[in-house]
Amino acid sequence: MLAFKIIAVFFMSASFGVLLRMPKGLLFYGGLVGVAAWLMMYGVLSISQSMVLAVFVGSIVIGLAAEFLARFLKKPATLFMIPGFIPFVPGGETYNTVRLLVEGRYIEGAAMGVRAALIGSAIAFGVFVSSTVLRLVMDQQNNKE
Amino acid sequence: MQGSLDKALSLAVLAGEILLKNGGETKRVEETMEHIARAGGAIQVQSFVIPTGVFLSVFNEKGEARTAMRRIRERTTNLDRIAKVNELSRRLVDGRAEFSSAEALLNRISRERTGFSLLPSMIASGLVAATTTVVMEASIAEDMGAFLAAFAVRYVAHIVSRRHGVQFIFEFLGGMTVALVGVTLHAVFPHMGRDMVIIGGVMPLVPGVAITNAIRDLIGGDLLSSASRMLETACSAAAITMGVLIILAAGGLFYK
Repeated sequence: MLAFKIIAVFFMSASFGVLLRMPKGLLFYGGLVGVAAWLMMYGVLSISQSMVLAVFVGSIVIGLAAEFLARFLKKPATLFMIPGFIPFVPGGETYNTVRLLVEGRYIEGAAMGVRAALIGSAIAFGVFVSSTVLRLVMDQQNNKE
Repeated sequence: MQGSLDKALSLAVLAGEILLKNGGETKRVEETMEHIARAGGAIQVQSFVIPTGVFLSVFNEKGEARTAMRRIRERTTNLDRIAKVNELSRRLVDGRAEFSSAEALLNRISRERTGFSLLPSMIASGLVAATTTVVMEASIAEDMGAFLAAFAVRYVAHIVSRRHGVQFIFEFLGGMTVALVGVTLHAVFPHMGRDMVIIGGVMPLVPGVAITNAIRDLIGGDLLSSASRMLETACSAAAITMGVLIILAAGGLFYK
């Protein structure tokens, strides 16, 4: 079952790259970033109950991988970030928020909405804090040489 | 020398325009314009970039200045063009590309059709949805339903192209389409849950580029761009949500 999911995550990230009109040769790397990040999230989730923590740690992998690939392939880092975080997008939570609101269960809907917002923030902070810090460190090393 | 300043200005502002139109973040647009202008002989470069426009001034060693501005009305997502302009700017700075041929190259980048045609994009859209439900352990029938919903959304996107300066209508109609497919499938095949179909189906509508650029601009200190892109993201999300909500509420009239 896990193998199926890994394949699914790979195709999810790569297919989203198609929708963004990524260069065709880079779709494979986009899929790899997605799989690496998702496996990290999966691993954290097996030892912790917190989805927000798991998504945050997974997103750190995205930021680091995107920056490394950007240096290695000489392409903008954004290209690898967007397909990378698609498997983390809290679609289920967002949908359940809407469903609860339609059913008139506003309190539960608000709670679910907050959960979706927290996961979204975890993605944002994970990806961009790690990539910004990595870039600062790399630039500093380049300046020393 | 004066001619060279004009040349540098027109080339840099064209590159900035292409980047901004196709989903580049503010800092990338400003840095690329500066690199190209300096490679073209400018001593000092000042730029102001917001999602709806580019302003650029270049100065030569005598202190003479030239200024250009471009209004950006149509914004799409095409990461391929961003990668290509990025590559060209690197080559210009390294001296590996001729400055004289660069304008023709930029024009070609901005005009050529890149990416996949309609059917492959529809399949990719469906794959994003179906794989989402696979990861969420939905049944195979639900995976196929999600594929169908997202497949249809891409076709709606093709009809309601956003190139006519209309925003958020596509997201709203896309959300409606997905929910309509989900509700209809559930009505016809009662064992098939509508929830998974809709969750998967809306995944291709996620405004990934707008979110990413909003945060990148925020970290880079481009507050004005960041604020407007966050508004764009929030309105896209609200439009998708409203599309789904309306259909779910209307579907509730017919069955429970």
